[in-house]
Amino acid sequence: MAENTRDEQRSYVLTIILFIAAATGICWLFRFLRFPETNIVVVYILSVLLTARFTRGYAYGIAATVIATCMFNYFFTEPYFTLSVNDPTYFVTFGIMTVTSIITSALTTKVKQNALEAREKEAEASALYQLTSHLSDAADISDIAAITVKTISDILNCRAACLCFDENGQPEQSFIQQKNSNEQLRRNVDDKEALLLRMENLRTAYDVGAEFYDWPIYGRETMLGILRIPNEAAEQMSDAQLRLLRSMLESAALAMDSFRSAQERIKSREEIAQERYRSNLLRAISHDLRTPLSGIMGTSEMLMGMTDPKDSRYALAEGIYKDADWLHSLVENILGLTRLQDSRLVLNKQMEAVEEVIGVAVMAIGKRAPEREIMVHIPDTVMLVPMDAKLIDQVLVNLLDNAIKHTPPAGEISITVRENIEEGVAVFTVADRGTGIASVDISHIFQMFYTTHGKEADSQRGVGLGLAICESIIKAHVGTISAKNRKNGGAEFTFTLPLEAENHD
Amino acid sequence: MTSKNETILVVEDDTQIRNFICYALKQEGFPYTTASTAQNALSILVSNQIDLMLLDLGLPDFDGMEVIKKVREWSEMPIIVVSARDQDKEKAAALDSGADDYLTKPFSATELMARIRVALRHLYKIGVTKAQTVLSVGGLSIDLEKRIVSLDGAQLHVTPLEYHLLTLFLKNPGKVLTTQYILKEIYGVGYGTDTQALRALMAGLRRKIEPTPAKPRYILTEIGVGYRLVDE
Repeated sequence: MAENTRDEQRSYVLTIILFIAAATGICWLFRFLRFPETNIVVVYILSVLLTARFTRGYAYGIAATVIATCMFNYFFTEPYFTLSVNDPTYFVTFGIMTVTSIITSALTTKVKQNALEAREKEAEASALYQLTSHLSDAADISDIAAITVKTISDILNCRAACLCFDENGQPEQSFIQQKNSNEQLRRNVDDKEALLLRMENLRTAYDVGAEFYDWPIYGRETMLGILRIPNEAAEQMSDAQLRLLRSMLESAALAMDSFRSAQERIKSREEIAQERYRSNLLRAISHDLRTPLSGIMGTSEMLMGMTDPKDSRYALAEGIYKDADWLHSLVENILGLTRLQDSRLVLNKQMEAVEEVIGVAVMAIGKRAPEREIMVHIPDTVMLVPMDAKLIDQVLVNLLDNAIKHTPPAGEISITVRENIEEGVAVFTVADRGTGIASVDISHIFQMFYTTHGKEADSQRGVGLGLAICESIIKAHVGTISAKNRKNGGAEFTFTLPLEAENHD
Repeated sequence: MTSKNETILVVEDDTQIRNFICYALKQEGFPYTTASTAQNALSILVSNQIDLMLLDLGLPDFDGMEVIKKVREWSEMPIIVVSARDQDKEKAAALDSGADDYLTKPFSATELMARIRVALRHLYKIGVTKAQTVLSVGGLSIDLEKRIVSLDGAQLHVTPLEYHLLTLFLKNPGKVLTTQYILKEIYGVGYGTDTQALRALMAGLRRKIEPTPAKPRYILTEIGVGYRLVDE
């Protein structure tokens, strides 16, 4: 910057010398031609005016005034070639000449400055206008960043850069930098966590880094990005450029914000459409699959009733019934799981008596496997636990079903419920005396579509959804579920439910 | 095959299930008529003598619930609602708007027939119940005049609320009573949402009449809907 000023000074001094010398030359000619002295004075005033016109600042104008007055005195008043005067009235001439020159030069300088400021403002406005009009065509956030970077690089004549933040307010992996007037490149951020931390703790308008001055781009709610100006360019920025930069950052922030909100609007519209599609699909499944399955089950059961159990046709009808029943529970499970995985699932939680839910599950199993006796151990006192009874019933039925599948007919199956006051939970345990769980399976047993490594008999087929559903349901209740093998053989599934309904804010 | 006098209207849009129900009814000797839309059902109900209606809730033209409300404007005939598994709210609403019972798909012919029998028995009990002073189911009986409850011949001490509750069930054996209905009957209007109180009351009553409350013999829980007293 200092270099610049010195060049400027030198050229202005030259300007003064040139104009005054020219004026002196012309005046010399006037005297030779015997023109009246007034003309000489006017020519000097003109030279001061012209000097003020082509230099900047009042100092040069005043300097030109003083020099011009001296020149006039030196060359054109008697005695010639001295600074003294014979006729004292010349002092009045010098005085008027000086004042006139100063006023003219001041006025000229002022006009010039105004013009300059107006030009700067106009340039600022047009740059901003250009930026805004380009931004309105931007296709996405990084496009906005690229346009901003290009405009700012052009104005500051530097290689500006911009790092965008994603929807979660985290910096992207790389930032856009202007390479030359037509090309941009992407560079990786070395330590974005540190950068983010620096920007978040920023107390000033910008942060000075090793390579860049970083200006945060603030949106309505969060920081949207960082504009990076190379250090050398940033140090040379004038106040006007700084002002322009701020306005441009605001425009970029505005564009990014409105792009984000437009995107969010589109997203939520899409989500609504998807939700509608999903519920339509669910309705289709429930109606188009379940209804015919009910028909198949009812009809095949009736066929069984009409056939002698010894007849081979009985076994065929029974096969149809069993397969339909299996398919039906699969459909129910898929439906249940789809509903559970919907994040907006609202549990219909109410205080329910533990004995009622268990009673219903045991009765449902009793219908399916009448020969099985299920032992129930519950506290004598009434135990009310907040839960979605329908879903917990499904968990119990799934666990009991599982126990029956893996336990020989004589094996004991039991449900136990106890209260764990310290942890504030009700503990439900379904235990059997079956084959137990293979150790390789224990950690995967609640995974969706996981089927055990044990014998894969046809009668035991399963898609591995039952336990996954149990886990989803219990998790939705903020409870826990676990499986283990019992000491004397058999498996044990335990789940807990909080005794207190959680406080809704 | 014994022939019966009660004509049953089957309102179901799915052909297979309709066929299956009709076959089951034929086996039992019930005369029946079928309808596949609500409109159709209403016009049949107006022009024919129907004693019981089996009504699918998901009809193509309009909600089965509307049919129940319309029918209840002029008739007390038993209505058994047929619905999918996850339609608890609809079930309860159907029962509250006047349906007598519900069946969840898939159901067996045996289940269907049992429900029809209970509903028909109910039909003939209307009027009789009012005159009866002793109501009983299994070993459980209640003497309305003397206000005595007894279980297997021994007198049972119950609180006034439990007595009220038992009376309600014994007057409606085999019928599902919705939680809302019971709350209104026991506590009066305005306590409609305090299901917790009802759960506690029910638990206390079960401890008096059931040897194992988790395996009830008398009052069965219908999750998400209400309770039902077994009907022998």
